[in-house]
Amino acid sequence: MVEYITRRLGLMVPTAFLVTVAVFLLIHLTPGDPATVILAESYTPEAGAKIHQDLGLDKPLPQQYLLYVGRLFHGDLGRSVRNKLPVTQAIGERLSATLELGFAALIWSLLIAIPLGTIAALRRGRALDVVASGLTVAGISVPNFVLGILLILFFGLLLRVLPVGGFVALGESVPDNLSRLIMPAIALGTFGTASNMRFTRSSMIEVLNQDYIRTARAKGAGWWQVVNRHALKNALIPVVTIVGLQVGAILEGALVTETVFGWPGVGKLAVESIFSKDFPVVQGIVLLSALSFMFANLVVDLVYAWLDPRISYS
Amino acid sequence: MRRAGILLLFALILSACGGGGGGTSTTPAGTPKTGGTLKIAQETEINTLDPNTSGLLVEREIYYNLYDSLLGIDAKLNFIPELATAWKYTDDKTLVMTLRKDVKFQDGTAFNADAVKFNLDRYMTSTDPAAARKSDLGSVQSVEVQDPATVVIHLKRADATLLAAFVDRAGMMLSPTALQQLGSKVAQTPLQAGSGPFEFVEWKRDDHLTLKRNPDYWRKDKAGHQLPYLDQIIYRPLIDLNAILASLKTADVDMARTVAGKDVDAVRSDSTLVYKATPSLGYQGFELNVSAPPFNDPAKAKAVALAVDRAQILKNVILNNGVVSYGPITPASWAYDPSEKIYDKPDPDKAKATATGFSFTLKTANTQDSIQTGQLIQAQLAKAGITVNLLPEDFGKLTLETRVQHQFDAALTGWSGRIDPDGNMYAFWHTGGSFNDGRYSNTQVDQLLEQARATTDQAKRKQIYQDAQKVVAADAVYVFVYDPVVAQISTKKVQNFTLIPDGINRLAEVWKS
Repeated sequence: MVEYITRRLGLMVPTAFLVTVAVFLLIHLTPGDPATVILAESYTPEAGAKIHQDLGLDKPLPQQYLLYVGRLFHGDLGRSVRNKLPVTQAIGERLSATLELGFAALIWSLLIAIPLGTIAALRRGRALDVVASGLTVAGISVPNFVLGILLILFFGLLLRVLPVGGFVALGESVPDNLSRLIMPAIALGTFGTASNMRFTRSSMIEVLNQDYIRTARAKGAGWWQVVNRHALKNALIPVVTIVGLQVGAILEGALVTETVFGWPGVGKLAVESIFSKDFPVVQGIVLLSALSFMFANLVVDLVYAWLDPRISYS
Repeated sequence: MRRAGILLLFALILSACGGGGGGTSTTPAGTPKTGGTLKIAQETEINTLDPNTSGLLVEREIYYNLYDSLLGIDAKLNFIPELATAWKYTDDKTLVMTLRKDVKFQDGTAFNADAVKFNLDRYMTSTDPAAARKSDLGSVQSVEVQDPATVVIHLKRADATLLAAFVDRAGMMLSPTALQQLGSKVAQTPLQAGSGPFEFVEWKRDDHLTLKRNPDYWRKDKAGHQLPYLDQIIYRPLIDLNAILASLKTADVDMARTVAGKDVDAVRSDSTLVYKATPSLGYQGFELNVSAPPFNDPAKAKAVALAVDRAQILKNVILNNGVVSYGPITPASWAYDPSEKIYDKPDPDKAKATATGFSFTLKTANTQDSIQTGQLIQAQLAKAGITVNLLPEDFGKLTLETRVQHQFDAALTGWSGRIDPDGNMYAFWHTGGSFNDGRYSNTQVDQLLEQARATTDQAKRKQIYQDAQKVVAADAVYVFVYDPVVAQISTKKVQNFTLIPDGINRLAEVWKS
């Protein structure tokens, strides 16, 4: 097991390297110049050249990349072009908001998806199953920003029961934090809810048809006990895969949701940094996002072995 | 694409639920109330809190409430005393300023002539690559402390624009003690560094920036009450214009400077909001590169200017929230000339007779308003037999190609405007000016612009700028299209707000009912 984990961690290094190359090239291929953002209306060719020199943008691209990678090995992701903060600090300041939103979205998705998926499987083909399946199609089809806007319109502007956006830290006021968390969490989590429910349902149906379920029933186990102890745990293995990938993708989904709701997390930072050509911050966020995805994958594989003792890694 | 989708959808939704009722554009009077928090939406996040490296309008908005300038301006753009109580040119190259004696910075350091020298020297000698005040103070030779309340500014050359620079960031005074202690941190956390009505509390980037009342502020209102009235100001950057509108409607913010042009009518008729607008100092239009074909032929430039229907663009793009532009000096300026209306009405026939049958590429920023303007120009010029190829580009790329490389035929650009007409003209149309993208060169214009800088009499300067403007507009080196308004949208609770054409909210006298 230890050998397996070590090997997987080792494989992350070349992957991360490829990510840095791809991100570095993509960012430098996009049109635009950070100097125009920094100087805005004060921009003159001379001042622009000075900024380029200061940021090292006057050097050839391969040299810029090597300098970047060299700094990476020292844990230095560079400094924000916009406000000169270290990138690690810029991202670090935002991470807690994104994690809070991401986990709230995940909890929302699991609390709804697993019971509903299980019930739909048990009532396969009946009205409840049809309604639940219809809802999942809707949940998967509606992009999170559309749902977000509809939530703002309904709960924020028409009913006025929830604030339309913004953020209050948990430490400042728990009710204010939670009231601002509800809508973005639902908007972000609903796609996951829908897909998790579909996976739970289909996996549950498959498991319920297995011989060992029939055996358990034949031995006199109660229906609920069979569902809960024998079926659900096995049915959840594919769901774990999906949920694991969703954890890794929290940053990705947060890009749009955080922008719509003005939630000051890493996603909003990424969008703002892209618009202002703040390439060190964009690079840092993409790298973080890629690494979290890789770690999530590894954790998913390890959780498999725990859920299903037949799986073993060596 | 996704962002565009968000904007479009939200636009539809918001316009569908726009409020009714009679709107008002005046602020009700009443007895000022002390206390309360004012929440303001800013359309972009700021980069820095140090006036030395500032380049954004939204930054000035915060600075004016945190720092004091040497001079102020009123709603008609007249200079008024602020940290300096009097100022006088003793000769062309010597400006003497008398300073207030009752001002302390928020950290307790006294404001005096030494502080002025310290600040101006810091701006002039900064080695920061983003230092932006050096050029504002380019005419200053040295700063001399005559006594604690008198500072003498010696100039390299006569410069009538300096007073306007002292209203803006080049005239903003920070505590020398705080600057020395904070070092580069002043850009992030200028704790007790100003002398303004509010003190810095915290800045959580892209979330909020909080200021609190400065209890020792030196200004009082007309009844003798201590200013400011508000306890706290919270700025929130909301980059989506639809989010700003939603936040105003739900009173999640109290005030904002901008909503999307299409929403202005709905805001005006919303009984819960107050919309105020005044002509701005800025203009919109497109510049022509007169150093290369086709516009090195003056007839072709004039044909373009003759064929453009400015009123149609004003109506369709910004829904008449502005006026047709005839030159770089807008109706908000003291130098405005209402009689100058060259190229007033579109005249495709006269344009055809001047020059026709040529084509050019019009580069625009990649924004909805710019592209729509470009499309209208394209259709209008087609009537005069002129073919326009539209090329929308990323704003950074557009700036690079126009300002640095001069690689363009025509480019849609605008200017936010400056208090002094020099700021709207010199850099753009003086030979070799730093914003002279089209490499225009006209000896008469050069002489007039230099003469205006060296003249301190405002009436004479006004005439000179009007003369220079006539030449620039007639040469059609820049086709002026419209002057937008500056606006302020607030909930009804916001009282006693004065809108100044520079578009900056000054909040010392604002209170909340």
